[in-house]
Amino acid sequence: MNNILQFLFYILIFPGFAFCVVAGLLIAGIDRKLVARMQKRIGPPILQPTYDFLKLLGKETIIPRHAARKVYLAAPVVGLLSLVTVSLFIPIFNFSIFDKPVADLIVIIYLLTIPGVALIIGGSASGSPYAGVGISREMVAILSYELPLVIVLLTIGRKVGMALDGNITFSLKAIVDYQAQYGPMIAQWSMIPAAIALLLVIPCKVGSLPFDIAEAEIEICEGPLVEYSGPPLGIFKLNHAIKMFIMTSLFVTLFLSGAGTNFVALNVLIQFALAVVVTFISISVLKAITARLRVEQTFKFYWTYPTALALLSLVLVWLGL
Amino acid sequence: MTNHLPIIAIQVLFLGAFISGLVGYKSNSLRKFVIFLATGTSLVLTLMLFKPVMMEGQIISYWMGNWVPVSDWAIGIGLEVDQLSLFFGLIVTVTVFLGAIYSFKYMSKDNGQDKYYVVFMMLAGSVLGFVFTGDLFNMYVMIEIMTFAAVGLTAFRNHKAESIEAAFKYLVVGSIGSSLILLGTVVMYAQFKTLNLAQITALLNNAQHTPVILFAFALMIGGYAVKAFIVPCHVVAPDAYAAAPSSVSMLFSGIVNKAGIYGMIRLVFVVFASMNLPSMQFLLVFLGTITMFIGVTMALAQSDFKRLLAFHSISQIGYVLTAIGLSTILGLTGGLYHALNHTLFKGLLFLCAGAVLYSTGTTDLNKLGGLAKKMPQTAGLFLVGAFAISGIPPFNGFVSKWLVYQGTFAKSMETNNPGYVFVTIVALIVSVMTLASFIKVTQSVFFGQLPKEFENAEEVPLSMRIPMWILAALCLVAGILPTAVIDYLIKPAVLAIKSAGNYVAVMMGQEYATKIYTEGIAIPKYDYAMAGWNPTSWLILFGVLLIAFALVALTGGFNPRHIVGAENNNAKFDVFFSGEAAEHSHVAGNDLFWGLKHNLKGYFHFMHDVHNGVVNDYALMVVSTTALVMLYLFLLVK
Repeated sequence: MNNILQFLFYILIFPGFAFCVVAGLLIAGIDRKLVARMQKRIGPPILQPTYDFLKLLGKETIIPRHAARKVYLAAPVVGLLSLVTVSLFIPIFNFSIFDKPVADLIVIIYLLTIPGVALIIGGSASGSPYAGVGISREMVAILSYELPLVIVLLTIGRKVGMALDGNITFSLKAIVDYQAQYGPMIAQWSMIPAAIALLLVIPCKVGSLPFDIAEAEIEICEGPLVEYSGPPLGIFKLNHAIKMFIMTSLFVTLFLSGAGTNFVALNVLIQFALAVVVTFISISVLKAITARLRVEQTFKFYWTYPTALALLSLVLVWLGL
Repeated sequence: MTNHLPIIAIQVLFLGAFISGLVGYKSNSLRKFVIFLATGTSLVLTLMLFKPVMMEGQIISYWMGNWVPVSDWAIGIGLEVDQLSLFFGLIVTVTVFLGAIYSFKYMSKDNGQDKYYVVFMMLAGSVLGFVFTGDLFNMYVMIEIMTFAAVGLTAFRNHKAESIEAAFKYLVVGSIGSSLILLGTVVMYAQFKTLNLAQITALLNNAQHTPVILFAFALMIGGYAVKAFIVPCHVVAPDAYAAAPSSVSMLFSGIVNKAGIYGMIRLVFVVFASMNLPSMQFLLVFLGTITMFIGVTMALAQSDFKRLLAFHSISQIGYVLTAIGLSTILGLTGGLYHALNHTLFKGLLFLCAGAVLYSTGTTDLNKLGGLAKKMPQTAGLFLVGAFAISGIPPFNGFVSKWLVYQGTFAKSMETNNPGYVFVTIVALIVSVMTLASFIKVTQSVFFGQLPKEFENAEEVPLSMRIPMWILAALCLVAGILPTAVIDYLIKPAVLAIKSAGNYVAVMMGQEYATKIYTEGIAIPKYDYAMAGWNPTSWLILFGVLLIAFALVALTGGFNPRHIVGAENNNAKFDVFFSGEAAEHSHVAGNDLFWGLKHNLKGYFHFMHDVHNGVVNDYALMVVSTTALVMLYLFLLVK
């Protein structure tokens, strides 16, 4: 019974649903503020995304005449579910809800594609031609960033595996333990290209400038989201915010983790602060200084520079550096 | 009694073919009854083998006409059902049974059904015979029957030009494949004076691998590559899959190319076990990797539902071949698991395509759309299949692809060869591309705008939905209970692959085996770990989450009072077209892969030129592939 309660606490409060929502909305607010300051604007209050979300929850949900109703409504929830599930797998320093290594990097790769897929399915279920254009772009975006992302994760698995038993590990817990012992992954110079590659992947994964081709508001009216309204739209916006937190937090766990302190709360604070820093570097700065790329430019970019960087790291690690 | 089960299971299918031909012209329902009875009996008989073979580890041998080996020479034709054979046998009988049920309604609009069922049953019986036989020449005979039955079924809708064209291509290329197998068989017979697989295995164990044997081996590998549609011998497959009726396309992807895979496994791992070739692994992994990549990229460029599925079929066989080529326990487990899964989800997808064709009369992705409203069950089942093939949890594709990734990566660790990491990366990318491609299908068939001409489309009849539901349920079961599937189906089969000595001992007698294997028969170990992964625990997690959110949604998270149906004429329920009327507004950019194709246009142009439809070129490709395999074997095998 106690176990079940504890389990429910993990899922619903921390590090699951409630924590994700709060952290995600906060990060999204901080990001907006940072971008505004860089562009010499005052910017919205940090809680603005939260207000937006709450307001959307109270609005009417309009289901277009041509929409496939159930899929249209279920898509945002499925995306949210998979994001919350991912959050349960990401260890925060020495805190992990699973004693044994349960989660693996590949599960994370898979679960992280589901929000994108949910967006695509939801958009296509809405029956709008703009959504059709948007999902085609989202798909190209997924194909673009998945290659460097996979290579980066394999590189880390190899690096940690070599130190453990000369084999490969896909366990995040092992990766954190490794960093607790040898210091943060980013301190290994052979891993720096991989870290840069992952930093470049994050903006596309969360769909921010210059890689927000799928939701380009000005060209295709937010693509897949064009027909959405009310709570489903709110949940999509929430997904977007949580995705920002999850991706940056994953970066922290993979590259900036360490022994941490003995207090879980303090660790969480440190993790969050580092996630904000990563958000600043990889999302806000890029967003403030770039304009949107075209579809084929995005594809070309990801299959050249980040892929080359990730491969460089993989080769270096393979050589035992 | 158990000994007789395999032969009866095969005979029942062939008998079904002839009896349905004899009585079928009298009454439609009588024919259906005969077919149902024959496929059902065959399924039950194969299932009866499950306990003795899979659970008790017996190998069942049966000598036709009781022609048992005399003074250590096997003269008669023997059936030998080991765990590997039964694994594929179960795949065959389940697929055939479901395909037959589906056909009853699906084919009801066609004429010439009496011929259809005869050829259908011939195909079924021949593949079952192929996987159960223990005789090299018998393998050839069965695969020849299979090829010609498949050609006949491809051409079944012969009022369409594409069917005839596809059948002609298949006939030419398939015959070349069969000839290669026959030639290989002849050379083997000349060398060993026997056709019994077990005896050849035994004789090869102590023989020199002379160039003649390698020659025969290469010919047979080339032949089975054609049967399994491995790149670059795949070129006839898309036409055949697309032109054949969907119930047959399901058999093509479910059992016909599995027959090729089975032939390769049997030859490489059992008959030629003594070669113990690390170099052969490289060839198989290489072929598998290019197969999966070329298959999926070609699928991205397709605009016909069934052609697209056909290219995915090729791509998934690439996964199977890659995993098997690793020849580690993990790799073989992943390969066989994926072979099983491929049968399940690809069967489901082809049946969905058939359902769409049945209701709308077309499989052109550019013409279809919005069918989810008209055919909700088909749409849901299609999504299950699409998620399964893309490897999204909790469906079965996830588990087997997982094993493939892990297998390739573990292999690279063992051999310290970075090339295998490259394979892992390709496998992951192919998986993403598969997903992308199926999103395109979902979008253009089931969602989006419903064209006017399909306003009257209806859900398909129950007898067509039942096989689809069964396959979808099996997809889910194989995804949720991977440990059970591995323990009861895959593990025995993998052990059978690894224990050629045992195979010989059962067939030729213990005495003979001890003479050949002087150091004793090695008993393989089944040791692997699905590293750090516990599917059930996080599945429960996902379930709990789902319930939690369902509660939230039900208790007002979605504001149910505010969800307004689109019954009235209010303009706010119209789809947004920038304020124009829908018919005056054309939004371009529906080619979902424009960006990808634009960036890789060199590659796609090359692929377009290769798949040029000229049979002479295709024949040349098959022959030159075989020549390359031969060259490879001669160069690399000492």
